[in-house]
Amino acid sequence: MAGSFRAELVKKSPGPIELYEVALDTARVQDVQDEEPFVEYIRALRSGRKVDLIVPVGAPAALFLQRYRTILFHNVPMLVIGADLRRIPGATLSDNDAAVLLDLDLPAYLENILRLRPETTDVAVVVGNSPVERFWTSELRRDFEPFGDRVHLTWFNDLTFDEMLARAASMPPRSAILYFLLSEDAAGVTYSQDRALEKLREVANVPVFGMGDYELGRGIVGGPLMQTQALGQEGAEVALRILKGEKPGSINAPSIVFGAPIYDWRELRRWGISEARLPPGSVVQYQQPTIWQQYHKEVLAAIGAFAGQTLVVVILLIQMRKRQQAELSLKESDDRMAFAAASTGTGIWQLDIVADRLWTTEYCRSMLGLANDATPTMAALIGAFHPDDRAALGESVRSAIDRGMPIDGEFRVVAADGATRWFATRGRPRCDENGRPIRLSGIFADVTARRNAEAEAEFQRKELTHLLRVSVLGELSGAIAHELNQPLTAILANAQAARLMIGEKNPDLGAVSEVLDDIMQEDNRAGEVIQRLRTLLKKGERKAALVDISDLVDSTLRLLHGELVARKIHVDVALPDRLPPTWGDAVQLQQVLLNLVMNAMDSMNASVPSARLITISARAGSDGSVTIDIADRGRGIDGAAARRLFQPFFTTKEHGLGLGLSICSTIVKAHGGTLSLRNNAERGATATLMLPAEAAMLAAE
Amino acid sequence: MMQDRMTEDRTTVFLVDDDPGVLKALARLLRAGGQEVQTFGSPQEFLAQHDPSLPGCAIFDVAMPGLDGLQLQAALSAGGTDRPVIFITGFGDVPTSVRAMKAGAIDFLAKPIDGKQLLGAVAQAIEKDKAARRHHQELAALRQRLSTLTPREREVMTHVVAGRLNKQIAHALGTVEKTIKVHRGRMMDKLGVRTVADLVRLAAQAGIEAAPPRQ
Repeated sequence: MAGSFRAELVKKSPGPIELYEVALDTARVQDVQDEEPFVEYIRALRSGRKVDLIVPVGAPAALFLQRYRTILFHNVPMLVIGADLRRIPGATLSDNDAAVLLDLDLPAYLENILRLRPETTDVAVVVGNSPVERFWTSELRRDFEPFGDRVHLTWFNDLTFDEMLARAASMPPRSAILYFLLSEDAAGVTYSQDRALEKLREVANVPVFGMGDYELGRGIVGGPLMQTQALGQEGAEVALRILKGEKPGSINAPSIVFGAPIYDWRELRRWGISEARLPPGSVVQYQQPTIWQQYHKEVLAAIGAFAGQTLVVVILLIQMRKRQQAELSLKESDDRMAFAAASTGTGIWQLDIVADRLWTTEYCRSMLGLANDATPTMAALIGAFHPDDRAALGESVRSAIDRGMPIDGEFRVVAADGATRWFATRGRPRCDENGRPIRLSGIFADVTARRNAEAEAEFQRKELTHLLRVSVLGELSGAIAHELNQPLTAILANAQAARLMIGEKNPDLGAVSEVLDDIMQEDNRAGEVIQRLRTLLKKGERKAALVDISDLVDSTLRLLHGELVARKIHVDVALPDRLPPTWGDAVQLQQVLLNLVMNAMDSMNASVPSARLITISARAGSDGSVTIDIADRGRGIDGAAARRLFQPFFTTKEHGLGLGLSICSTIVKAHGGTLSLRNNAERGATATLMLPAEAAMLAAE
Repeated sequence: MMQDRMTEDRTTVFLVDDDPGVLKALARLLRAGGQEVQTFGSPQEFLAQHDPSLPGCAIFDVAMPGLDGLQLQAALSAGGTDRPVIFITGFGDVPTSVRAMKAGAIDFLAKPIDGKQLLGAVAQAIEKDKAARRHHQELAALRQRLSTLTPREREVMTHVVAGRLNKQIAHALGTVEKTIKVHRGRMMDKLGVRTVADLVRLAAQAGIEAAPPRQ
């Protein structure tokens, strides 16, 4: 709250402003006499300074100042920001006071949860046990009472934080957590709001909903939220009006109400909440964040954490001062920035192109293993990178200096201990009025963890794809054994026949030779079955080659032949004579076909044998794409299931893993194609697989 | 006459399997083992073309599309043909084999099949078919001879089979012993038997019951 106010104030003020912040941890202040040291501290702080405005942030600070106004800031205008209307009624404000208050619509928090997850039966409210939190507990209890017949509410105010974590980790199904305020738990231990939220979110097995916009991006789903941004802006406007001489008592600033509901896309996805459920006008953030956005957010979060005070009372003392003091505070601000950046593993550098002078944060130098006292040069900086990456980085820096191009890349550094680390490297040139770059500012962010995680995820995905193929073949093992048994039967019978034939008085050697030919042919057939198996069982890199869809369909049906016969399923294949070849990994595409046909087979378990029919058809598009339809006459797709078909671990089969379609969809997307499922007009469902023309698939590679 | 005897001795193995490679190899094995073989690539083909009057046995694959082996046997007996059947299967599961044996199968062989075992089962099945056909023929001949008896002669036969003397029969039928003696002589001639013991055996074979004792 204080952060956004301060930022807005500095931004909007026409002249330099000196700010003093005093943070009081009210959670620890239980008795009025405990406040005495704070009063003394503030008195000492303000002595010898002319104070133009005092700004208590939040109700505890406002109440504190109301108590000590005459002692500390007699006749100094006061602007109360961020307190709720309920805590600071207008009547308690004097002529010399203005207020930008919050009007929290508490029921809206619960309504939001029920709107997003109507099936919710239980909501746990996380609220602490400090005086201010006790006030909110009773407010919440009163405002939530009408919901009593819809949801069962659990209150965490009498739990220790460890107990809260344990409860959050084992919430019943169809429940949610509303994280309201937590600065002090029942055992009297105090907590930083941000850390507490993050820890809780880490263990929670159900969605966590929050209270203010500063929590978005830290694991809350979102909804209507307390607007600290708007509060900061409005507060700053009013502060400037007072500093300009307007009478505080005559300023009637509107209360800050909830703005448009804001949601975190990642959380929506994580909990399977459809965007269709969001109220109209909602804002969804963090959608598929780019690396830059991710990094950017981290820095902001770090700064937020550094300057963060959520339940800490802040008093801002504002003074109009001379420029030199402002410069002093600029130096402080630099230090803070460097500290914040370092705490997120980010090194900052700036190159003065005209003077060819490089400035870096200390952390930046230590990241690159450069001597701390050395005056760094760009060449030394580039030289710190992996030999194989230096040329690329150098080229990138040069085009930034010469042509004003931004720098954007990830490069390796080999640390002193021999470990390779990945640094995301960004740089933005600043140009003079002629468009000539004069300054280049940039950062290095250590993204090794993410890089490793990506590599690990890719490895896992490959393993999973392969495992799934193996498990499919496991399901088919009986049928495949039968497929292998047929040629073996023919071989044995032929061999025994040949033996009888040569035992005759005048053996017909021509006939025996024919038998031997047949034996060889049957052996080839057995070999093909084994080859098909081996191909699917093989683990390995994706191999791209021209793929003939007809061959693929044929080979898939051969693999399934025994199973189809045993399950009395008839397959009609209607493929055009010539289909354009597609480009891709035949094994993976076969896996997709196998999976789709097996799904079709499974869907007809309950049908009478005469109705067990699968139709496989294909057609070529005018653009060279190939579309394959696999239609069954089974039970079709349940309406509720339709939207979740491609989600991992969603299954309608008793022994299904719920990974088949999810993996198929991943494979098809990697080939630049599409996969969809829909119910037929009459009976059953059709899976439609579209693979783009060869050229488009090459592009998707 | 010579031709007829040949036809009577000739037997055929009817082989049904949807796998062409297996069908060809098994047919070859059976022929090398001295059997006449007719092959069919599907149950439908077999039902459409099979001649029930030809002596011999059948070999059915169990797992076939459309109609499986067991269903094919059921269809065959429902049509009035009781041909001995040997089943062959790639799966060889116990429940299916039990069902097949209960339905009167000669044998239930798992693929890959041992040639000797198959030929042995075929010989056994053909033997069974021959015996059944022989029995069938004897019965037909017997019925033919019985049909030449007059009602009176048939009546006398039931009393003779019951072990009665001519005098007792005459009394039962309200006539004289001499008349009975004539009927009895003609009846024995027509049926081609000499002794009462032979007559009793014949009556049992034809299912003719003895006349009940008089009240």
